[in-house]
Amino acid sequence: MHVRSDTPDVTGRNRRSALRLLGMERSEEIFPVLLEEIVALGHPRALVAKVDFETSEITPVASLNCPKNLVQRFRSSLFAVETPLVRILHSQQPELVRSRARRASSFYYYPLIYRNRTACWEADRARGRKCIAVENFHSRLRLQLQEQVCGICDMRAYAAVVVVEVSPNASAAEIAGLRSLIELANRYLSRLFKVEHYHNRMVDMETIITQMQTVMESMTDPVILTDPQHRVITQNKAAERYFRLPEDVSEGRVRAVELNNLLFSAALSSMAVSGSDSSRDMTLVDAIEGDEVLFEAVSAPSFAPDGRRTGMVSVLRDVTDLRRADDELRANYDKLRQAEEVVRQDRDRLNLVIENVGDPIVVCDRDAKVALLDPRAQELFGSEQGRTALNIRNQATLDAYITQFTYSFSDRESAPIQLTHPETHQEVEYDARSGKIYDERGLVAYTVTVLRDLTAVRRLEQLKMERRMLEMEKFAVAGRLAGTIAHEVNNPMEAIKNCIFLLTDKMEPEATPVYEILKAETERVARIVRQMLGLYRNTEQVGNFDVNSVVEDTLLLFTRQLERAGIRVEKELGTLPPALGSADQIRQVLSNLVVNAKDSMSQGGALRVRSRLVRKDDLREVIRIVVADSGCGISQNMLHSMFEPFVTTKGERGTGLGLWIVKGIIENHGGKLRVRSTLGKGTVFAIELPAVQ
Amino acid sequence: MKDKSHILVVDDEPNVLVTYRLILQQQGYEVSAAISSGEAREALSEKEIDLLLCDLSLEKQKNGFDVIDFAHDKSPHMPTVLLTGYATPEANDHARKLGIPVLFKPIDIKELLETISGLLKENYERHEAAG
Repeated sequence: MHVRSDTPDVTGRNRRSALRLLGMERSEEIFPVLLEEIVALGHPRALVAKVDFETSEITPVASLNCPKNLVQRFRSSLFAVETPLVRILHSQQPELVRSRARRASSFYYYPLIYRNRTACWEADRARGRKCIAVENFHSRLRLQLQEQVCGICDMRAYAAVVVVEVSPNASAAEIAGLRSLIELANRYLSRLFKVEHYHNRMVDMETIITQMQTVMESMTDPVILTDPQHRVITQNKAAERYFRLPEDVSEGRVRAVELNNLLFSAALSSMAVSGSDSSRDMTLVDAIEGDEVLFEAVSAPSFAPDGRRTGMVSVLRDVTDLRRADDELRANYDKLRQAEEVVRQDRDRLNLVIENVGDPIVVCDRDAKVALLDPRAQELFGSEQGRTALNIRNQATLDAYITQFTYSFSDRESAPIQLTHPETHQEVEYDARSGKIYDERGLVAYTVTVLRDLTAVRRLEQLKMERRMLEMEKFAVAGRLAGTIAHEVNNPMEAIKNCIFLLTDKMEPEATPVYEILKAETERVARIVRQMLGLYRNTEQVGNFDVNSVVEDTLLLFTRQLERAGIRVEKELGTLPPALGSADQIRQVLSNLVVNAKDSMSQGGALRVRSRLVRKDDLREVIRIVVADSGCGISQNMLHSMFEPFVTTKGERGTGLGLWIVKGIIENHGGKLRVRSTLGKGTVFAIELPAVQ
Repeated sequence: MKDKSHILVVDDEPNVLVTYRLILQQQGYEVSAAISSGEAREALSEKEIDLLLCDLSLEKQKNGFDVIDFAHDKSPHMPTVLLTGYATPEANDHARKLGIPVLFKPIDIKELLETISGLLKENYERHEAAG
């Protein structure tokens, strides 16, 4: 019998075995059948030991007629290279190992390995790739078991050894029959293995497809797979909402879906044409809700394993909110930039203001610690660069003030503080004006203090005062002149007046009207003289005086007259600092006002005289004297002209000089005179005189 | 008690002096007139004067207060009225301290007469009280 190693003989008994093996449809059925057929050939026992590539162990997986100890003998490992089992696996050459002991059995080893004459379809498709089955078929080299991995599908091939106990006197033909049987079995096994391999691959693919579908469905963004003609192959539920016609078709929905499809394939076409764009915005209509939704379509071409282009995968991302957020972000950014611009302008303007204020500015934090000093303030208080002893002393003075202000309840404050000028080393009086800046919680965030050098102001005040004194002096001179004249007129007038009195009731009846005129006119001259003498009398001394005692004196002087006129006097005198000027002139002022008040209350009434110290907005202190009556009041026309000389409402009885003198005196004192009057209700004169600081 | 009160008028202006004398006489007073402090002192020394009506400004060296002082030296409670065209605050204060009313020229005659009769009445009552 001619035996060829690569083409097993399939005649006779072998033919029957071949058919039986061919009937097996699963790889695991091959080994038992093979063992049965081996025993049927007359060999006493056989087993199959298989390589586990994971552990490198070689384990018997099937045996026939083998006692346990024999099976155990063929348990080995790939590392045990000296054993016939491993040697056979590496060499891939069947071997008959005869025992040296006479009665011991011989064993025939045959390696089983995945091999085929032709490559599998997958390997066929991936041209140029090596198929391990074909390589194993052709290889005559020592087999590297560790490399038994399919280059196409990464699958481990199988490797096993069939061990058959043969009688020591077995013929060569018997061995050849055995060999061809096992080879046949291996061929079937390889074929089944290939089929099962495809099956496994298919199961794997199904799993992957399911996984992919799950992934696709779980995506909230529409995902669409299209063929090269942009026809939809598959899409997820999210995509169906836009691209698939629903069951209960309404006209609107059909149109919406059609339009969406049109838009989408147009976008795909344009992307395919341009080649460069991989994303594109498009507005689709939600077929269910009817809303317009802005999508960004990101498409990527899909390829088959052989590099063929199979279509496009498109993911649509709902960017309505994103774009809106983007727009808002941009708008906010613009707003921010504008705000920043405003802030910058404000800051520039503020800096400009600060630079041009010309006064030292100090900004402190909530703990009264200096946060900012402008260059002028740095001259006074020093800077980070250095401090002199003077600076430190100034700083201490300022700290005391700022601390007090910061913890006070007032929002703004103003106080004089004395600092030493760093250059002249002179004490300079500053007017410190402070304000608080609050944070959003209403706590003090900063205090700002502007220091105003009062030297110039004080000098100006001094000048004003001197000028006023000069004016007063001039007024006094004029008064003295008037007084002197009046005095000279006074004595003759006194005689004339007395004569007129003596002539009372002694006149001829026809002379009486003339006498009356003489009497009235003389009385008028007497009043003018009295007024002018008053001016003279009261222009004596200029200095500090107590306003309240002047008020008291004046009221005392008029007590009897006022009582007689039925006038009640209410006086309310506050505590006052001294005033600067002429007490006599002020007495004259008050006398004139009291006389006017008395004259306005022919039916009696109330005369209220008040004095108090008033702090003005600019912190100057003034003495305010108010003389108010409940008399007949002054008409509107009169209010304008009553301070002019020789204007009177008292007719023959008045000189028209009283209020003119009042005004002159008050103005000379650097004071203010205001009048408020209501006809029939009364008149209020308010005088303000500067107080001595 | 005499029928008529005796008033001494002192003023350096003759016409003023004459008219006062006439007015006061018209009112029923006995009136002596002095044109200088010297004459006034003379009158005060020689006559029994009930009330002194004296101008403040007399000669350069002497003024009304000299006359008043002289009168009060003689008769401390002699009622006195000071007449003046103008008075310095000091003069005013001084008169007030002495308890002497001051009447400013031009004098309101009615006021003058009221003041005089008031003072005389006061003085009379004091005398009565003193017994």
